[in-house]
Amino acid sequence: MISVSMTNVEKSFGENKVLKGVTFETQQGEIFGMLGPSGAGKTTIINILTKQIAADSGECHVAVSSSEIGLMLEHDGLFVQLSVMDNLIVFEEIYGIPRSHTMDVLEKVGLTEAAKTKVTDLSKGMRQRLVLARALLHKPKILFLDEPTSALDPVTARGIYQLIRDLREAGSTIFLTTHNMEEATNLCDRVVMLYNGKIIEEGPPKDICQKHDSMKTVQDLEGVFVKLTGGGLK
Amino acid sequence: MKATKAIFKKQLKATGANPESLIQFIIFPLLAWAMLAMMGQDDMVSDFAALPLPQYLLDELVREMITAMPNMVTMQATIFAGMGLIPIVAAVIADDIERKSLRFLSMAGVKPSSYLIGVGGVVFFLSFFSSLAFTLVGSFFGMEMLIFMGAMMSAVVGSIVLGAAVGILCGNVQSAAGLSMPLALVLGFGPIFAQMNDGVARFYHVFYTQHLNLIADYLNFGVTDTPLWQSFAIIWANIAVISIVFALVYRKKGIVG
Repeated sequence: MISVSMTNVEKSFGENKVLKGVTFETQQGEIFGMLGPSGAGKTTIINILTKQIAADSGECHVAVSSSEIGLMLEHDGLFVQLSVMDNLIVFEEIYGIPRSHTMDVLEKVGLTEAAKTKVTDLSKGMRQRLVLARALLHKPKILFLDEPTSALDPVTARGIYQLIRDLREAGSTIFLTTHNMEEATNLCDRVVMLYNGKIIEEGPPKDICQKHDSMKTVQDLEGVFVKLTGGGLK
Repeated sequence: MKATKAIFKKQLKATGANPESLIQFIIFPLLAWAMLAMMGQDDMVSDFAALPLPQYLLDELVREMITAMPNMVTMQATIFAGMGLIPIVAAVIADDIERKSLRFLSMAGVKPSSYLIGVGGVVFFLSFFSSLAFTLVGSFFGMEMLIFMGAMMSAVVGSIVLGAAVGILCGNVQSAAGLSMPLALVLGFGPIFAQMNDGVARFYHVFYTQHLNLIADYLNFGVTDTPLWQSFAIIWANIAVISIVFALVYRKKGIVG
């Protein structure tokens, strides 16, 4: 069953054409990776899919309502005057979730001991985990993660990978953007590579690597990307 | 309702976490009380006692002075409702837009009306206690208290909606402060100038803060050129106009940011 799809979507900001006929679809219960360098249009795609901006042309489909979507975006949108727990309580009350579930989520992201800490006193990694907790709170059917582990230490990142896998096991679709090819290789069931507003490759990470490995020079997704674009990711 | 309650509680906690923001709700009634205490009739009598005038003339002089001066409760209540609240509401909303918090609330299914009622509700709630404090300082009891509270809370609603419009229009705290402060100064201080100049009074006759001022003055001195019903009608007409402005701003800018 298709969870998210885009067909021939175009989007410009002024003179700058960010998306040039993007087409892809994700299946329910998969971890889908959108790869590309900064400025490739990954965040724009998430913003279009979550109806925060409109596409200039093309069609978009998200199989669930906005309240069944979990979001972890570039701007965390946390209430900085409040504590970790109070941030979650706002959404717990909106969704009508029992407190015991909120405590479970807090424990899953490893923030139980920091529950009373004010957001302004959190480290970058703790803040990122709080945003993930907020995104997971209502057991979303589709989870959009925009660069979920950027600027995180490897231990925290691994914890987040495990949470993402657990969510997939529970049947959720995970749509993540990243420019970290290693993350995409280890985590994603399928990926698309976005470059200059166009999709240049798609498929399971292993298949993509094998497809471009005829000369035995390409060993990972980063190698594929460099081969296809003639440039790096950063 | 669930969402409105959640936003109300969130805003109450955020206000509690920043005690400085509560000062605005305390300082104006406190200033009114302090000014009244400092400008008591007894002090004036002793100040004028040295003048070589008969006692009945001194008494008359003091009475005239007190009547001619802006009443401190009226003045501080008008400044509070007109000037204090607009920047507060504008800043809260602009901050939530700037930090993209509203985007997450919107994705969680929170309607803009629920958000605005939740945030505005906290300001209304706190202003209610400030207004009660003004009634105590001004010794308004019984019907006078009801009239004063009615006028104050109506003006508070006007300022909350106006502050919300400014917050949405600006979308960031710095711009919101830049726009709300002059607006608040015009609305808060205008009625004070109007007491000293008939031309200014005529100009301000269409503004809700002027009529809050007139109603409070009536309760203090028992005389007014504008009937109470007319002052209330003008305040509510202001709220209607401000609500239209708010709707236009909301349609143009949206709330999610």
